Amino acid sequence: MKPTDTLERDVVVSSRVRLARNYRDIPFAPSMNRDWAQETIRRAVDALAGEKDVYHLIRIGNLTNAQRKQLVEHHLISYDLLKFAETSAALIGRQDTISVMVNEEDHLRIQGLLPGLQSEKAAELVFELDDILGRDNNYAFDPQLGFLTSCPTNVGTGMRASTMLHLPALSKIGKLSAVLQAISKLGLTVRGIYGEGSEAQGNLYQLSNQVTLGRSEDDMLKTLTAATMQVVAFERNAREVLSKKDTVLLEDRLMRSYGQIANARILSSKEFMGRYSDLRLAASMGYIDMSYEFIDALMMDAQDGSLSIDENGELTERELNIRRANFVRSKLN
Amino acid sequence: MMCDECGIRPASIRLTTITGGEKKERNLCPTCMAKLKTTMPELDFTSLAGILSGLFQNANKATKIGEEAPDITCENCGMKYENFRKTGLLGCAECYTHFREPLEKLIMSIHSNTQHTGRVPGGIAKKVSLKNTIDQLKGKLVEAIAAEEYEEAAKLRDQIRMLKQQVEAEEAETNETN
Repeated sequence: MKPTDTLERDVVVSSRVRLARNYRDIPFAPSMNRDWAQETIRRAVDALAGEKDVYHLIRIGNLTNAQRKQLVEHHLISYDLLKFAETSAALIGRQDTISVMVNEEDHLRIQGLLPGLQSEKAAELVFELDDILGRDNNYAFDPQLGFLTSCPTNVGTGMRASTMLHLPALSKIGKLSAVLQAISKLGLTVRGIYGEGSEAQGNLYQLSNQVTLGRSEDDMLKTLTAATMQVVAFERNAREVLSKKDTVLLEDRLMRSYGQIANARILSSKEFMGRYSDLRLAASMGYIDMSYEFIDALMMDAQDGSLSIDENGELTERELNIRRANFVRSKLN
Repeated sequence: MMCDECGIRPASIRLTTITGGEKKERNLCPTCMAKLKTTMPELDFTSLAGILSGLFQNANKATKIGEEAPDITCENCGMKYENFRKTGLLGCAECYTHFREPLEKLIMSIHSNTQHTGRVPGGIAKKVSLKNTIDQLKGKLVEAIAAEEYEEAAKLRDQIRMLKQQVEAEEAETNETN
């Protein structure tokens, strides 16, 4: 049986909205000293102190490498935040859906992350938090240019909204680049799984708005949702094409992949991402009875950082690959 | 009138080109116009690629102007514009004031726009700021026309039109909710 298609989860893995904000009276994060860095953290913590939702403050400098990586793998922080590890922090909110990065490229990067296609809902969460953090009216804002950011590519709304899409069938039938090219004409860009500059793994692609100035947040969110729905339709179509061509062959290929991942003793990250993609596609075709929630959680937890979280020293690649195989096997059997 | 290019066929198209601020007008016949299109892709408005490559060239020009320009330093944080060009990162909120002119050009080339529409902190009246900007742009439009900078004028005209539509749409929305 196919899992119920709510929130277009057969194609849309998650939706994310991120706002860049800066305090008016403090130098931008890349130019500030440690004292200023402490001040931005203090302001963010104070602003959230009275809220009924609890936010946990994590100073990146206090974390082990594995813990830092795990936060990136769970999309709670960005790789870039790790570059400023000595001065940066993160405030993590309820059920890991909402977080604030402090002192990345901007003083505050407020982000909301929800499963499936729910960009508007993620935006609501983020705007609510934005109002709380900006309550003292001390954001850097210009009536003409909007919210001021340390890089002019984010000025205006400071908003980057994205959807993470699983596109194995489009990729398989060779139509992916054509679809993505068409999308780029709508003012959207396509990136790999961990954001800017990262490569696509597991047939996962991130669709996000390119410009941040001149269009309202609502307008951009609508465009993103509409474009995402377009790609979803193309991907579903491509899945049908694949299945009509030779349904047994497709099922055979995907189920063999399932057999391999469930029995492997050594599993590299690259192989795992390929198998994860097969598993997710198999679930969407109704070949295996597994929820998207389970499969996506498996994907995040089988990454290097999460696998070595209880380890003091660094693991070798082989040790990591054995651990990954053991972990995945225990989850799938 | 005969075609300026071949001098044989009658001209039916007037082509105005502006290259590096120099305006040139030519009267052409359809045959010579078609020939020209193949050598200048930005003239081919039937293909989207042609228009896009035209836009792209404009964007590049805007960036180059920024490169030549300024030896400016932000009075608040001491950031030099030259350093910003290297890293792409500004030093503080006031850099936006001190680097205003070159920054606006750069922002235009990135976002194809220089007017924020959207959320504001603490509810600063959005409509007021929009109307102010429209007035400013109108002023610039008059200047551009006086200086015969038609390309620039066309951009400003489109921007004004878009902002006006926004103001009207918002007014209609407020009326509805009242």
